[in-house]
Amino acid sequence: MKSLHPLTWWIWSLLIVGAVIATNSAWVAGLAIAVAAISVLKFAEDAPWAKSFWFSLRLGAIILFIRTIVGVLIGVPIPGTKLFSVPILPLPSWIAGIRIGGVVTQERLLSSIHEGLIIIAVICLFGAAVSLTSPHKLLRVTPVVIYEFGVATVIATSALPQLVQSVGRIRRARTLRGDENPSWRSIAIPLLEDSLARSLELAAAMDSRGYGVSRKRSRYRPIPWQQIDSAVIASALSALALALVLR
Amino acid sequence: MINFSNVSLIYPTSTKTILEDLSFSIVEGELVLVIGSTGTGKTSLLQLINGLVPHHTGGILAGDITVDGISTKLVRPGELAHLVGIVGQNPAQGFVTDTVEEELAFGMEALNLAPDLMRKRVEEILDLLALVHLRNRAISTLSGGEQQRVAIGSALVMHPKVLVLDEPTSALDPIAAEEVLSILHRLVHDLSLTVVIAEHRLERVIGFADRIIHIAGDGNAKIDLPEIILKDANIAPPIVHLARALGLSDVGLSVRDVRRMTETIRDTGKDVESVLPTVGAERILAKDLTIKYGSHVVLKSLNVSVRAGEIVALMGRNGAGKSSLLTALVGLQKPTSGTSHICGKASTDLKGGVRRETVGFIPQEPSDLLYGQSVDGECAQGDKDNQIAPGTTFALLQRIVPSISPDTHPRDLSEGQRLALALAIVLSAQPQVLILDEPTRGLDYQSKALLISLLQNYSKELGRCVLIATHDVELVAELADRVIFLADGEVVADGPTLDILLSSPAFAPQVAKVMSPRRWLTVSDVIAAMEG
Repeated sequence: MKSLHPLTWWIWSLLIVGAVIATNSAWVAGLAIAVAAISVLKFAEDAPWAKSFWFSLRLGAIILFIRTIVGVLIGVPIPGTKLFSVPILPLPSWIAGIRIGGVVTQERLLSSIHEGLIIIAVICLFGAAVSLTSPHKLLRVTPVVIYEFGVATVIATSALPQLVQSVGRIRRARTLRGDENPSWRSIAIPLLEDSLARSLELAAAMDSRGYGVSRKRSRYRPIPWQQIDSAVIASALSALALALVLR
Repeated sequence: MINFSNVSLIYPTSTKTILEDLSFSIVEGELVLVIGSTGTGKTSLLQLINGLVPHHTGGILAGDITVDGISTKLVRPGELAHLVGIVGQNPAQGFVTDTVEEELAFGMEALNLAPDLMRKRVEEILDLLALVHLRNRAISTLSGGEQQRVAIGSALVMHPKVLVLDEPTSALDPIAAEEVLSILHRLVHDLSLTVVIAEHRLERVIGFADRIIHIAGDGNAKIDLPEIILKDANIAPPIVHLARALGLSDVGLSVRDVRRMTETIRDTGKDVESVLPTVGAERILAKDLTIKYGSHVVLKSLNVSVRAGEIVALMGRNGAGKSSLLTALVGLQKPTSGTSHICGKASTDLKGGVRRETVGFIPQEPSDLLYGQSVDGECAQGDKDNQIAPGTTFALLQRIVPSISPDTHPRDLSEGQRLALALAIVLSAQPQVLILDEPTRGLDYQSKALLISLLQNYSKELGRCVLIATHDVELVAELADRVIFLADGEVVADGPTLDILLSSPAFAPQVAKVMSPRRWLTVSDVIAAMEG
């Protein structure tokens, strides 16, 4: 299949994010994640950034887990079917209305998971867009209105793909050094540092190549907007329209 | 063309002055070579020319630098893009697109050149640098040498007046390096292009240089003709060392010059015999190793064996499959068919402490082995991993590069220092087998000599085996017992270093070219022959 226009998947995922938020339904969120996963499986090229989606899925799962625990334990109690209860942590009287621990109801658990799922869907759709689009190609079609903005865009759009590549790099380094199961703590900071530094290096390289100097850019091989691009966008638009109608 | 007046540079996080009160000017059509030990600021000097320093790196700059009359203080690097082409030390980190053609066109697109002009220039560059067959390839799938050529091409395609190259031949095989340098030489002469090159392997570039800037490391720098700088510089190619060792009155810069001066010497002395060392048990064993990427066959049922106490060099042109072989041997890559064993264990099964003690691997990019936030942290991790006394790894590192500061971030080290750090970490586990991919990239002669003695001790005294993939014929001549020559995924030659290196002039070291037809590879060979 001839590759799509770099903006197509980004617009598609933004529209689907709109649909998920508009319906505010965990089912739609789950469906969106599934559709994103299928799209990535089917259309992603064999490139380093293609792993971004799976990375974002994992990140989403961690967020859901933490959010659910926090959401269940802290906050205003919601009455309903009692599942189990945890001891209440005594708090000073001046923070009335907030409670840590206490009775965990089914309603409370479900609402936490529901909110978490929507957040995951948003993260995953972003991850899918990154997975399906070459960051370099995206930069070629992004208009440079303001130079500083251009450099910031370079860093922002390349950060997640770089992060995913850095995960691979650091994992390889760990394997070579015979340390297969490193702790997250020991990896997290080098990881962020590494990917950000590489994004900055990319920005420096682009700068010395003249990126952003001229407002207008010519195209060596123009990337055409094809019918299939319009079709993908149309499908997402109809999903959004449906979501707004059914809401 | 390039004018430095009273330039001083200091980075805020360091107390050392990189450059101090440096003034010189480079005229149009000059090819200037920048030399200096590892970490003395060659890269900083080069990046000052297009303003990447200090615009992107920070640092305090005093004095003024102008390129074609434009002060780098007043404009951003991008605005010099049409004037200065810059190729960094590590081209892989400087690529901004996915395919070769797009990469070549990127700079021209940014400057809004007309499409037909771009097409024409891209074709020219593809032809000039022999990249035609790679035009639609994804850059990430290219070999190191091919990437280097793409990087040089994407700078040249802009038709800059000044071309700045940071170790342009470090990833290239001798033949490709020769080609790239002759292209530069031609552009300098035909189009009056101004070229500034930083390079450690002087033997490759010395014949092309008009002048040399020698950075001493204490902030001082000298600029003069090659003959004058090399007369007493501590950095010199083998050919100059030969002239010094033989007590010749002049320093010859080309093989031809020195050959004329040494005619009588070639008639005396005795030849070196090619002997293979006595070696121990088989350590590395690859049988019928085949690797395919899609339909592209990289290795064709290869058989390789290396024994304990042996130092073997793996040579071959760019893209011959050297790195693929190494990654398969260390078990990073599963071969399509065939097996690879190290010390009797399948490479892909090596895990944890057993892996550390069995095989140490230094990848082409030593930083791929590093993930800590300071030199100290990396060394401590090495100590912890191998359960050795705290400080052992750092002590080992200081033996290789004494001047390293423990608080430095590995990213801020020079290429050579990074290699030393990776080497110290790997060696701290005392692996049975040490595999290095292109270890002399970015190393100056001193560090290279240190590396050679380190590896020799390691292999001979401890009876370990060392396998090195390299393009550096001088290193091979000094170090290796045996050479395996790869071409297009197959072993085409395998034998004692002396025989293999002397069999083709392209892969012969400088001394051998001077002394041909005598069978001497290094300065010490010649001296030994003279004395014996």
